[in-house]
Amino acid sequence: MIEIIETGPFNTVQDLGRPGYRKIGVTASGAMDPFGLKIGNVLVGNAPGAAAIEVQTFPFRLRFTGPVVFTVTGADCGAKLDEHPLLPWCTHAADAGQALELGRPRTGARAYLCFAGGLDVEPVMGSRSTSLRGAFGGNGGRFLTATDRLALCAETSGHRPRAGISVVDPAFALADHLPTSDDGSLIIRALPAGEHDLFGNDAERFWTQIWQISSKSDRTGYRLSGEPVKPTTPVEMRSHGVVPGVIQVPPSGEPIVQMSDANTAGGYPKIAGVIDADLWRLGQARIGSRVRFVRATHREALDVEKAMTLFLDDVRVTCGMVTRALNTMA
Amino acid sequence: MNASFAMLTSSPEVLQSTRGGARVSAIGARAFLLEALGEFDLASQRRIWALSRAVEAWDDISEIVPGMTNLLVIFKEIPEDPEPPVTRILEAWDGARSIDLNGKTIEIEVCYGGEHATDLPALCDRSGLSDREVIRIHHEATYRVFALGSAPGFGYLHGLDPRIYMPRKTVPSINMARGCVTIGGMQTGVAVLTGPNGWNSIGFAELRMFDPSSATPAIMAPGDTVRFVPVRVEL
Amino acid sequence: MSQVDFTDPATIAELMAALEAAGVDGLQLERPDQGLRIILARGRPAVIRRPEGLAVAGASRTTVKAPIAGVFLTHDPSRPTTLHRSDDVEQGDIIGFLRIGPILVPLTAPASARIMRRVAEHGAIVGFGDPLFEIELQS
Repeated sequence: MIEIIETGPFNTVQDLGRPGYRKIGVTASGAMDPFGLKIGNVLVGNAPGAAAIEVQTFPFRLRFTGPVVFTVTGADCGAKLDEHPLLPWCTHAADAGQALELGRPRTGARAYLCFAGGLDVEPVMGSRSTSLRGAFGGNGGRFLTATDRLALCAETSGHRPRAGISVVDPAFALADHLPTSDDGSLIIRALPAGEHDLFGNDAERFWTQIWQISSKSDRTGYRLSGEPVKPTTPVEMRSHGVVPGVIQVPPSGEPIVQMSDANTAGGYPKIAGVIDADLWRLGQARIGSRVRFVRATHREALDVEKAMTLFLDDVRVTCGMVTRALNTMA
Repeated sequence: MNASFAMLTSSPEVLQSTRGGARVSAIGARAFLLEALGEFDLASQRRIWALSRAVEAWDDISEIVPGMTNLLVIFKEIPEDPEPPVTRILEAWDGARSIDLNGKTIEIEVCYGGEHATDLPALCDRSGLSDREVIRIHHEATYRVFALGSAPGFGYLHGLDPRIYMPRKTVPSINMARGCVTIGGMQTGVAVLTGPNGWNSIGFAELRMFDPSSATPAIMAPGDTVRFVPVRVEL
Repeated sequence: MSQVDFTDPATIAELMAALEAAGVDGLQLERPDQGLRIILARGRPAVIRRPEGLAVAGASRTTVKAPIAGVFLTHDPSRPTTLHRSDDVEQGDIIGFLRIGPILVPLTAPASARIMRRVAEHGAIVGFGDPLFEIELQS
């Protein structure tokens, strides 16, 4: 059991979401950085999609009411256990009564607290993710508040999870597959979408200009500020299904990128779609940060996805082996 | 390959294929949207229902999202090459014959007018009809659920009388209540969440359209018939 | 065939898994330099006889040994701030890592101590039990 001591708003229980219900209007939800969540879960011996706490407002503090092996992945928040600084992306053992504290992130926007066993909240429609808009799932359909208590599932992995297992920074390990820029802006790869060509010359400007993530951004979508881009003639669309990553352009000309709590349907013209493999990087981008979109090919999207899958598999297999080995000798 | 039927658009990097009255475009690398290019009518939607049924049975599908005369197809994995799935979707469209879903009939009791009918006066102004006429025209029609979307369990209802078409508001209501009976363009529906809403409210229904704890969380399904039953009129 | 290191926990774990899978109860391996005997007690932890673990070099001197075979690193190359520069360490301070593929096993100081000698070089491949640091415990 863990007990929340202090939290800002909008920190929620998330897993990999509930895809499959968009056709009845239900947003998939799920972690904004699913890669960080999966790796965190694997480190503590969970299935990659176990439920964790997504922390996006700080400071955040909780108390363990019993011994728990846990890890903090995603944003580096200078986590401390009873004032003792913790190595990020590393498993740690907490004793009953110890307090975990996360401060403002030094890098990234969202931290994932993964606990051995995973959070035991009631699954709704196949997922433990919180749907804030639908007011169901996770912690009673709402964000966490101080004094909330969350139970953990019994550990299910074949081996006892263990403190002191870390992983190289995924961005470092996958550096060959991740674009970098000279000017500090985040480079996000996208494929042109259905109405791309209707934007005429503005389409090119969409790709070349640097956009800023506006303060009106949240888990539903990122609104981008910049020189507006508009279709050459107004586009009338019928409402259709959308997925996270779709970049729509409302009449204002400032694009919106749908994120984890994406609406299930939309009707604005779509200029592009972020590749799945870059959504986690966008999910770690902070409000105010600068983003540029580069045109990817289908092949690139596939190759990055494969590299990420291989890395995750490698982490899972190696972590299991190392954990069993160290447990054997302990 | 039926490449001879497929027409690639001007920009070679934009994946887009048109044939047989439908267009397929990509959203990212594993989601593809088929849009029927014809009228926004029941005939087109019936063919979308047929297509949905065919595509849903493919074993490489993660999920499908039927929209208004369109269908979003989401694959489990990124295909090695996007062209075969696009061709497959277009071929399925070619083979999709109009079907009529054997939906159920849902009767929704409505209190027309009253405190929730915030946009009834504007609708009267626009249509030149009295409030009683607007209400009568709305409840006398029979509607079909075209698709669900936008919010949990929200059904887009087709069959609105053109006399009471009303465009969505440019400035949405900030906090419209769940249950408001609304008109958005040529469609009508019942708000399922309390919150910002750009549709025009003319009444209120108590019936809850969505229950996440139920095995079938949404009351409505595509193909269902919906009738609005006036239980009270407050003018 | 390359020499298998029977003292490597990873090797032992793999052997145990293989025994379990094959339905075999035990295994004894003998080589001039080392031997290993594993008896699988089903439902109970396995009994393993192996070479000695942590050796104590003197009353207050001790050696930090590799708990598993891997690549010895003085710091996490993906997080340069993990480099511990001082020779004086507190209990729990991270003094290096062992890298096995993408996984890092942090090496921590067992107690307040002074590092007297760094035995392994950054990037060196080390076996289970290889000495990595000689430290003098602070009273």
